[in-house]
Amino acid sequence: MTLEQVPEGVVLAVAGALDLSLASTLRRTVERAARLRPSVLVIDLTAVTFLASVGMAELVRAHRQSGEDTAVRVVATGRLVLRPLQVTRLTDELALHDTLADALAAR
Amino acid sequence: MTLTPRGAASSEPETAALLDALAPSFTAPDGRPVAVERRAITPDELAALAPVDGEVVVVPDDTRLAALVPGATAALVVVDPERGDSTSGAGGTALVAREPVDRSHVAAARAVAAATGELRRTVAGLRGEAAVIDALQSVGRQLTAQLDIDTLVQDATDAATTAVGAAFGAFFYNLINQFGESYTLYTLSGVPREAFSRFPMPRNTEVFAPTFDGNGTVRSDDITADPRFGHNAPYHGMPEGHLPVRSYLAVSVISPSNGEVLGGFFFGHPEPGRFTARHEYLAEGIAGYSAIALDNARLYGRERNFTRELSRSMLPDVPPVPGLDLVTRYLPAATGPNIGGDWFDVIPLGSGATAFVIGDVVGHGVPAATIMGQVRTAIRSYALLDLGPADVLGHVATLLGGFTEPTFVTCFYAVHAAQELVYANAGHLPALLRRADGTIEQLGEATAQPLGVGAAFPERRTTFPPGDGLLLYTDGLVESRSSRDLAQGMEWLLAAVAALPRPLGPADCDRLVATLTGGEHDDDIALVSVHHRDGHHRDAEAAR
Repeated sequence: MTLEQVPEGVVLAVAGALDLSLASTLRRTVERAARLRPSVLVIDLTAVTFLASVGMAELVRAHRQSGEDTAVRVVATGRLVLRPLQVTRLTDELALHDTLADALAAR
Repeated sequence: MTLTPRGAASSEPETAALLDALAPSFTAPDGRPVAVERRAITPDELAALAPVDGEVVVVPDDTRLAALVPGATAALVVVDPERGDSTSGAGGTALVAREPVDRSHVAAARAVAAATGELRRTVAGLRGEAAVIDALQSVGRQLTAQLDIDTLVQDATDAATTAVGAAFGAFFYNLINQFGESYTLYTLSGVPREAFSRFPMPRNTEVFAPTFDGNGTVRSDDITADPRFGHNAPYHGMPEGHLPVRSYLAVSVISPSNGEVLGGFFFGHPEPGRFTARHEYLAEGIAGYSAIALDNARLYGRERNFTRELSRSMLPDVPPVPGLDLVTRYLPAATGPNIGGDWFDVIPLGSGATAFVIGDVVGHGVPAATIMGQVRTAIRSYALLDLGPADVLGHVATLLGGFTEPTFVTCFYAVHAAQELVYANAGHLPALLRRADGTIEQLGEATAQPLGVGAAFPERRTTFPPGDGLLLYTDGLVESRSSRDLAQGMEWLLAAVAALPRPLGPADCDRLVATLTGGEHDDDIALVSVHHRDGHHRDAEAAR
């Protein structure tokens, strides 16, 4: 899991299985990112190979707990990540983008 | 687990200087210097020369010298801790003469001993201390990272037996079974298990009592000469056939969390006087780490059993429902310590209808299990008010919104009455409806968000005539395979269900789980199968 500051904001890239073992790391990293008060926080799931419900719960938490000044966007491509988000209709809740560039450019 | 030797086997500068200074002291009876050769001495060879502890220069007697270097007339061995290791002891370098000599080399050796002995003993002592601390630290690190009791106790026994140089070591430790009764197990190191299997467990005899009672370390140069030895029937000493023990060292293992004696280490050696204060210190150190590790493993095991029991105790008794064949399953994760928050329920409603519930609380362990208990009770309560599925889930979502910590709960709720199913799905995987003609429909896919996220849970209806079957399940069933691809897992599930006979019996459900998970599900799994009996089965029932 990496956290990178870019001109548009902060990019949090997650790799591997986003399950119980990684979820708490994601939560702490989101909190760290939030302290930077970026205008955009992108959670990039491109390299995620498995999205467990505990991981989705953290995405919802990140989305709902972000301050008014921070827009949380999620990069999700491929059915490994998209299918669980569709089944739980989190596609309605989260701001999803196909690529990191799209997520950073979105308004 | 091994104790790492300190340093390479190279002579240190003082040793080289000492050898250079001592070499000219070998003189013939006429005072003329004689040729001296140098020879490396292994720890075993040095031990055979019987050096006194702390001695710097050893003067071998004639018999031992003849055994070591045939044809030698005289020799001095300079002890060098660097030429050895922490388990077998120091080695050294010998100065060997092969011509007749006088006694002046012995006088030189005595002078060296007088001049440098104290200093070298101090240095050796300090180095020994450092090695002990190194060894202890590495053993401690490995032990305290271990949560599996069997591995932990064997590693500890092996490490301690090696560290104290015992011929064999044993670790007796107490465990508590599921009924709260204490029982004792043991591990051995240095001897096969058969060497002790004929003997009963050691009792609280005068020799063993201080260790089992936690009254301090017992170290004896010769336990058979100890006043506490041999007083207890039936053996009055060691039982016939027991490995010979003279040197004896025993250390208690005491829980740091509650002061309870968790067990004891026992070390033996057939020769007297083998265990030193340093060995005692090492054994006590390893016992201390073992106590922490055992405590951790026991607490970990307790938490795991507690959670498992908690999950089980929350499982409902499934009542028989007229006209329906029900099979329910709850399987805790087969691998790993994680207990999930999966649950199911079958609720007979006042109107004669039946509610079927399956759900999954995100997370694992006690927090998930306790939230699951509350959600399950809440759903039961609203269900018994005869509210429809949309209202039941809506009320539960409102209730969860009042929790301080955000929750994420997926749940499929269906009510069966007569020939109809009414259902709502809060972010759970779709239920499978297998029609009498064999077609399979997925019910409620992606109709609403999980409880804790969404607020509205639209209701759907479908027919459920006799001959149809409904299968509710949790994600452990479709996410167990290595790919962890939900879409792939759903395909496998559909194919597996289509291949099963109708109606699904208990064995079919077990086979379904085995087929899909290969018996290695790392998440828990809940399953409810409902079959609406058709006419044929009703006739069969009536005929019984």
